[in-house]
Amino acid sequence: MKKFSGTEPKAQHKGASDGATAVQERETTKLVGQSIPRVDAIDKVLGKTQYPGDLSRPDMVFMKVLLARRPHARIKKIDSSATLATPGVMAVFTASDVPCNEYGLIEPDQPVLCGDVVRYIGDKVALVIAQNEHAAIIGRERLVVDYEDLPAITDPRRALDSSALILHAAKKTNLLAQRRIRKGNIESGFTKADVIVESEYVTPHQEHAYLQPEAGLAYLDEQGRVVIETAAQWSHDDRHQIAHALGLPQDQVRVIYTYGGGAFGGKEDVSIQIVLALAAWKLRKPVKLIWDRDESIIGHHKRHPYIIKAKWGATRDGKLTAIQMDLLSDAGAYASSSREVLNNATAMCTGPYECENVWVDSRAVYTNNPTCGAFRGFGAPQVEFAAEMQMNKLAEALDMDSVELRKKNLWRNGSIQATGAPVPEPVGVIKVLEAAARAAAWPVKKSSSKRLETKKRGFGVACGFKNVGYGFGFDEKCTVTLELHGRSEIEKVVVRAGASDAGQGAHTILTQFVADALDVPLEKIQLVTGDTSEADPVGSCSASRLAFMLGQAVRGAAELAKEKWRTQSERPVKATYRFKPRPTTPLDPETGRGDPAISYCYAAQIAEVEVDTATGQVTVLKLISAHDVGKAVNPQQLIGQIEGGAAQGLGWATVEHFVMKDGFVMTPNFTLYLIPTVLDVPEIMNTVVLEDPDPQGPQGARGVGEMGLIPAAPALVAAVHDATGVWFDQLPLTPERVLKGLQSVP
Amino acid sequence: MRNFEHITPPDLESAVDLLSERGTKSIAGGTDLLPEMKSRLRSPRRLVNLKALEELRYLKHNARKGFQIGALTTLAEIESNELIREKIPILAQAASVAASPQLRNMGTIGGNLCQSVRCWYYRAPEFKCWLKGGDTCYAIEGENKFHAILESSPCCAVHPSDLAPALMALGASVHITGTDEEGTVSLEEFFVRPKASNRQMTILGANELITEVQVPMLDGDSSGIYLKAMDRKVWAFALVSVAVQVSWDKERVKGARIVLGGVAPIPWRVPAAEEIVRDQAITEEIATSASEAALEGAQPLRDNGYKIALAKALVKRALMTLAERAKK
Ligand SMILES: Cc1cc2nc3c(=O)[nH]c(=O)nc-3n(C[C@H](O)[C@H](O)[C@H](O)COP(=O)(O)OP(=O)(O)OC[C@H]3O[C@@H](n4cnc5c(N)ncnc54)[C@H](O)[C@@H]3O)c2cc1C
Repeated sequence: MKKFSGTEPKAQHKGASDGATAVQERETTKLVGQSIPRVDAIDKVLGKTQYPGDLSRPDMVFMKVLLARRPHARIKKIDSSATLATPGVMAVFTASDVPCNEYGLIEPDQPVLCGDVVRYIGDKVALVIAQNEHAAIIGRERLVVDYEDLPAITDPRRALDSSALILHAAKKTNLLAQRRIRKGNIESGFTKADVIVESEYVTPHQEHAYLQPEAGLAYLDEQGRVVIETAAQWSHDDRHQIAHALGLPQDQVRVIYTYGGGAFGGKEDVSIQIVLALAAWKLRKPVKLIWDRDESIIGHHKRHPYIIKAKWGATRDGKLTAIQMDLLSDAGAYASSSREVLNNATAMCTGPYECENVWVDSRAVYTNNPTCGAFRGFGAPQVEFAAEMQMNKLAEALDMDSVELRKKNLWRNGSIQATGAPVPEPVGVIKVLEAAARAAAWPVKKSSSKRLETKKRGFGVACGFKNVGYGFGFDEKCTVTLELHGRSEIEKVVVRAGASDAGQGAHTILTQFVADALDVPLEKIQLVTGDTSEADPVGSCSASRLAFMLGQAVRGAAELAKEKWRTQSERPVKATYRFKPRPTTPLDPETGRGDPAISYCYAAQIAEVEVDTATGQVTVLKLISAHDVGKAVNPQQLIGQIEGGAAQGLGWATVEHFVMKDGFVMTPNFTLYLIPTVLDVPEIMNTVVLEDPDPQGPQGARGVGEMGLIPAAPALVAAVHDATGVWFDQLPLTPERVLKGLQSVP
Repeated sequence: MRNFEHITPPDLESAVDLLSERGTKSIAGGTDLLPEMKSRLRSPRRLVNLKALEELRYLKHNARKGFQIGALTTLAEIESNELIREKIPILAQAASVAASPQLRNMGTIGGNLCQSVRCWYYRAPEFKCWLKGGDTCYAIEGENKFHAILESSPCCAVHPSDLAPALMALGASVHITGTDEEGTVSLEEFFVRPKASNRQMTILGANELITEVQVPMLDGDSSGIYLKAMDRKVWAFALVSVAVQVSWDKERVKGARIVLGGVAPIPWRVPAAEEIVRDQAITEEIATSASEAALEGAQPLRDNGYKIALAKALVKRALMTLAERAKK
């Protein structure tokens, strides 16, 4: 196994550059493994890159969306006469204007425009299109909607009460999904336990808080197709959903992605795409829309809050004997990917630990809160927070070192998952834990800061894992076409792969894979990624999957292309390859048996914190992250992903407090919803990268996009406990909560 | 934002005259007013642009009058002014932890004292709360972790300014100019609890402007400190803040002014705590009992009980830090 350190523990400074140099020093002509500069960097730095908000066309008009801004109500009447009389206003569209008024990432349970009922504050009610943005805003203000408010379900614990109003009448229940795992015998597992730790954990909504709010431009092209230019995470699925709602064949719809300013899962669902397409289609004019920050925060989905009841048992010598988990997820008003998130949460709630007796009940319920869906980690951060908290509490109860306790239970080659399937090998989680422990010189003795007695320091550890790709039986595929131009020598390679680059660097990695597979220099490679009518479907930019899938699809396409180049005289050579990873299976509804994941990636993090016990403020001084990535395709980007993910995880654990009241979002802007600043991120971030090749991944690569976020919260909370002796079971640890917690101890 | 007229008056007098007309607001840096207009909390028909009034942008100091700070002076200017940093560092500290560098470049001291509250019900167009002319303070029964623990009725929003507690601890006054009158009032008189007939936190009339902030000369040996607790390291409003200015006779306190931010609808001076430290050398015991006196009578709402502990901790920390420094 190869290994390099992002930042050598002794060097103790921030930044990816050290990791990058470390690898560049290797003697190789191959680009995979090198920190080549981002292919999009120069244009972005020069301000040349067009983001969705920058797009324009002569003749374009502007749209504003009227959001419901009430959690649950019946629409009695919409009066648009005053709007239509407003100078500059061209049209108002409501539910009856939508040919097929439904959409959804997995299940189309969401109206494009609400006709009868609004189910959460972000529901769209009407579209106002005007000559300019100002007129659209004024026109929107003059829309009169007559509502009859309905009782709102805002506590997921009450969603299944017999008295609760059913959100989707056709479903007859607010239960959106439920899963089970029944492995071994839970009763006898607890009988064998010498200690049992039982807790309830509460994890909050999280806002994606990307730099670029939703925006786009839609128009008709010369062939009469409706074109939607925007930036999100899955162009081909957007196209599918738009075509469905507009009642058009897929080839009448073109989705073109520009570069995007962040996504983190928040742009996996459709937000503005369908309404833009609808307006452009109806008016046969270019239509532009930019969401304000508060529209973005209210209008797009969130990370699911989870309420997790955990009961874990272990023997005196630290072997887990029983894991019982009850997961309740607040799905909000529509399905989005709640079922799939629940799948992940269910399969991963035991943590990467062996246990013979597992009992899991999990449910996702509809409420009148904002819809929840994909967010970096996709269910794993919530349940692994609970799992790692349980391990740290067990270590305390057993008076055992928490790294040692983990090592006795962590998966290794040959381990069986809670779902009954063997863990895909090689299993590197013990190695990452050992690497993190080494970098931290674990077990670390606390040195209380001398400055003020009220400031207390502590250390905490957590592991994490995340599946690569969709899994659970999803028919996963990734198609790439390579075109080789030239005669005897390859002069140009055109890569057709509809891969979204939300800022994580997918296009750079794609270029690296192509360059190596065809042995051509970077300059000869031309990417066609944005346009669904010209690029092949690669699947979403999510699930830590894109580098993994693209790499394999490129490998397959390159082999075909080289073969044709050798054996055929026709130029250009064109080769298409569809990569399908090994199949997975869904979980059995009764027992949870199944083979849920192609592969996993692993991490361990150790946090050092300082808690000001007088003010409740928590400062993360240092975060060590050890990751097994299989292969660091581009070390600089890799470390950027890990550190960025960790910062986002620490944000979720400390400053990001999404406050809801009776279905309203109290924090619809960045003055109230705080995200970490550079000063909230630890001064020292040591990232240790291990490369234990995954035989299924391209040159051994696993995924990494989500992993940095996952162990951060439980590592931080463990460190706060180490400092103060108090366990905090609810995130985030705001000063308010920390002070309340500290007051409860004598 | 609705369309509005933007007028740059030639001088202060015309500015005040223009303000007499209904639907008119003054704008300085615009950092608070423009966001309010964007979210429709205010839709003035006319804005009177103060930025062009050079006569309001100055910072003077002399041994008799102390500091005279023109209302248009920016927070950045205050934060970096050498004389302020030397003679009244508490004000520089307060300015340096307010908002963000960009906002401090634009935001003025006058606007800072007149800014609107940050209560999330007040700021949300969906709620017509009492302060906006409605009947209900939603926060009293609702989400109130950022709200007042003292005097929390009829409105429990807290004044968000960092400068105000520091200035009040310095004994500062503001000079107000109106159409017919002008005069100087202390900050204790300037800030008032909102009442049904005056739903705002100051006595300022619609056609009045702050023209100057005055900080009197301090006693020979005086020191001050501003501490601010936030939900993150920087760029957040105070959960609780404390401003303490002490005049010393060697290591004994001659007199102290202790002001809390974030605990009441207006900056909250705590005479009971000041009384406890007067004529004392500050020990941990004294600091503790002063901190307890400061929070006497606090009545937390559902979510903000933590502010009591937090405010006490800050008062104690401020006093102990000043005492420590006084020994050196
Ligand atoms: C994101 C954010 C974070 C912030 N954080 C903090 C913080 O941590 N601490 C803090 O103290 N402040 C904070 N602020 C508030 C900021 O300091 C104020 O917005 C700023 O000081 C106001 O000054 P201005 O000149 O921009 O006022 P404007 O926005 O121009 O005016 C604000 C109000 O004051 C009135 N006004 C302006 N000048 C005068 C005058 N001379 N006489 C009478 N009335 C006048 C205006 O009519 C208006 O009603 C924050 C603001 C934002 C947007």
